Amino acid sequence: MAASPRGRLLLLIAVPVAVVALVVALAVAVLDGGSDAGTADAAPPAPETGPAEVSTDGIRYAETLVVYNGRSHYGDEQVFRDFEAATGVRLELRGGTGPELFERLRREGADTPADVLVTTDLANLWRAEEAGLLQGVTSEGLRAQVPDGLHDVDGTWWAVSTRLRVPVVSTERVPAGAVTSYESLADPRFRGRTCLRTSNNEYNQSLVADMIVKRGPEATEQLLRSWMANEPQIINSDGEMLAMIAGGECDVGLANHYYLGRTLKENPAFPVAPAWPDQQAAGAHANVSGVGVVAGSDAVPTAVALMEWLTSPPAQEQIIAGSEFAANPAVAPPAHIGDWANVKIDPIDGQQAGPALQQAVEMMLRVGWT
Amino acid sequence: MDVATAPRRRVSGWAVLGVLVALGVAGPLVALPASFVLGGVDAVTLTLLPPALGRSVLLGAGVGIGTLLLGGALAVLVSFYDFPGRRVVEWALVLPLAIPGYVLVFVIVGQFGYADPLQSSLFGGLQLPGLRGPVGAIGVLTAVLYPYVYVLGRSAFLGQSRQSLEAARSLGHGYLGSVWTVALPLARPALAGGVALAVMEALADFGAVNLLGYQALTDAIYRVWYGAFDTTAALQLATVLVGLALLAVVLERALRGRARYHQSLAHGDAVLPRRLTGWRAGFACGLPVLLLVLVFAFPVTQLAAWSVETVLTGRVADRLGEAAVSTLLLAAAAAAVAVCTSTTVAYGQRVRPTRTGAVAARLAAVGYAVPGAVIAVAIYVPLVWLDRRLIAVADNWFGVEIGLLFTGTILGLVGAYVVRFHAQAYAAVESRMGRVHPHLDDAARALGADRARVLTDVHLPLLWPGIATAALLVTVEVIKELPATALLRPLGRDTLAIMTWEATKDSRFDTAALPALLIVLVGLVPVVVLVRLWNRPVGTAPPVPQG
Repeated sequence: MAASPRGRLLLLIAVPVAVVALVVALAVAVLDGGSDAGTADAAPPAPETGPAEVSTDGIRYAETLVVYNGRSHYGDEQVFRDFEAATGVRLELRGGTGPELFERLRREGADTPADVLVTTDLANLWRAEEAGLLQGVTSEGLRAQVPDGLHDVDGTWWAVSTRLRVPVVSTERVPAGAVTSYESLADPRFRGRTCLRTSNNEYNQSLVADMIVKRGPEATEQLLRSWMANEPQIINSDGEMLAMIAGGECDVGLANHYYLGRTLKENPAFPVAPAWPDQQAAGAHANVSGVGVVAGSDAVPTAVALMEWLTSPPAQEQIIAGSEFAANPAVAPPAHIGDWANVKIDPIDGQQAGPALQQAVEMMLRVGWT
Repeated sequence: MDVATAPRRRVSGWAVLGVLVALGVAGPLVALPASFVLGGVDAVTLTLLPPALGRSVLLGAGVGIGTLLLGGALAVLVSFYDFPGRRVVEWALVLPLAIPGYVLVFVIVGQFGYADPLQSSLFGGLQLPGLRGPVGAIGVLTAVLYPYVYVLGRSAFLGQSRQSLEAARSLGHGYLGSVWTVALPLARPALAGGVALAVMEALADFGAVNLLGYQALTDAIYRVWYGAFDTTAALQLATVLVGLALLAVVLERALRGRARYHQSLAHGDAVLPRRLTGWRAGFACGLPVLLLVLVFAFPVTQLAAWSVETVLTGRVADRLGEAAVSTLLLAAAAAAVAVCTSTTVAYGQRVRPTRTGAVAARLAAVGYAVPGAVIAVAIYVPLVWLDRRLIAVADNWFGVEIGLLFTGTILGLVGAYVVRFHAQAYAAVESRMGRVHPHLDDAARALGADRARVLTDVHLPLLWPGIATAALLVTVEVIKELPATALLRPLGRDTLAIMTWEATKDSRFDTAALPALLIVLVGLVPVVVLVRLWNRPVGTAPPVPQG
């Protein structure tokens, strides 16, 4: 009993001190940095002097490399394991969606443990670039394997694969030739029968940003409003959209081609087909899954070595097994979608569309695309 | 040992401790209202708020009514009636607690089965019209949340004495009439507590409403955060959601009224359920069984069938075992901390009930209605700040690089879980503490025990079922928890929920099936433990030392 009052006294002093310290820390953090405390301490954006030339000849590999991996849900982690086996580098793969990884990166700011950012879309690479979270790099290997147009001129991102975002239609209810362009999604015959993914999906954001650059903001907003006039059902994922079209709840949707490629590979009788848009005009919107080196990484040569591996033919073969197209032109498209490689494409404007991203997000909300 | 010393006006240490712990749990939520003060009202907020708020209100009201009717009716049925199979139905009705809403949605949506290579859909091509509207969202969440009302209601009924029921009967009420007029009002605090939990969880649900395309507030928060990266708007929407949750809390209090019912429990005077026969018995047995088949047996069978198919075709995701271990460790850590915080707060309030203490306890409970993603960032910002300062101090003063201690480690994640799930633990502990008669405290004090000793020697033994319930509820919740885990999980460590979620979002049902099944199975373990705890002294609650 004797120790008890003393123990309580200790608690009475220690706990309030700890709690008060916590509350003060919180208050200061909120008042100090506002909601963007993370970027306040981040490294300043690299000066626009072009990418740093990195040589990976005979490099000494870093022991570990932390990879923020937006492709973790594609099941192609073996390609990273192969890099570990070949180099002895331990890769710490931290999976998440592109938006989650970007948000995390900017919160961590200069203290991020990340060395490499891999995303499935340019939108979040642009965001990271704009926030000064990436550093420009280039190397002989990267230039040899990734053609111009599939990497940033300043080397902040390099493509590992490309993908088309195109209208997809029911083969049972939509006659061939009924959908020939992105405008077809506004055709009154599909009123109440179109499916669109949510507007916070980065594939849609990149598509609209690219349209703003190429068609102008007015024409783009008009197009989006015409899509909305058909009262689309708003869907959470491309895969679900395909299921809904097959199940008869929609006739037309807008999806990335590899979702359909994978499904048709498993089930050739699946009643949904791509409707290649604008084949007499600009072509099908082609986006990029890419990779960049995080600002402040202390393992830049190893990071570049990883990027060179990811864009090398053996790795590319693995990556595109899920029905994407390789960034490296030396790698042929997967056999089961071989003829899709002949489609006329409209590559995303990697330099101009990024700055239009915020405008795109606002426009989508404005027209009622939720 | 003079018991009647001068009137003790001094503040009790335990009460202060309770208030401080409560404030510590609620502390990170300061960032929410601060977003209005610092940011001004965001244009995005104005666009998205009205429709999302309407959907959330509808969802909360629907789930509240649904769980009260379903959970309350089931609790009455198994507590006051005996029928063939009651022993099994009684505990089986808790089972849906192990199924997160998003897993149920995944199973239902997976029935489309068309886009997916999985062949073993039990109802291939099944479609439920209206699934994507309010009816679907309310239905799914009621199906998985009613056990809160059922568990707390049943526990309250079991603690009631037979005598009060018999008194009502002697006054001319029929059996059901006595239940209605005596047992139900006595159980009102417990039922209201259960409904409040269910409503708060429904308001905070993200997975199910998101998968159903029902754009409630949580969904709106997620999309402004991860679509527009407008953290101010997200925090503002979250603040509105907190307000809605507070409203639910106030309503619960109003329903509960000023009622404080204490019943002394002793062996042998628990209610004896009335035996049903004939068609009534069949009905009483059949309805719960039908419910369980629909919301538990069918989904679990479907998940198992898909999982077996996944295993047989060699499509099991890598690192599944590692994810299962991480999930369990996180859940255990969070449960341990939450039990301590909730017991401290509840005891502090008991020792010296004050208005401040009550407000603090209520504040701490608000975290339950705040979506995990928002809590994650609300707690993340100060942790990032703290880490930066620590790194600077270590570097400047000691010349060592320590890296991030709290950011992206288990500490931040467990902290978020505690903020989020403290309320559940608190409700369980407090409802139990409310049934320990205050005279017991006074008696122990009069015999010379100090407050600490009253807690360890009197309350903790009596509170044990409440504490076990608290730990169980927190464990289950952490296993199911999704958005906070996604943001704060350490070192690329996947939990089962993350694996399920990432795959479900993409309609890759084959990848989602096995982790989803594991979530349900792991979630079943604490449910079964709870049921075993229940059944030890059959039908009676806490053993009171005899003689």
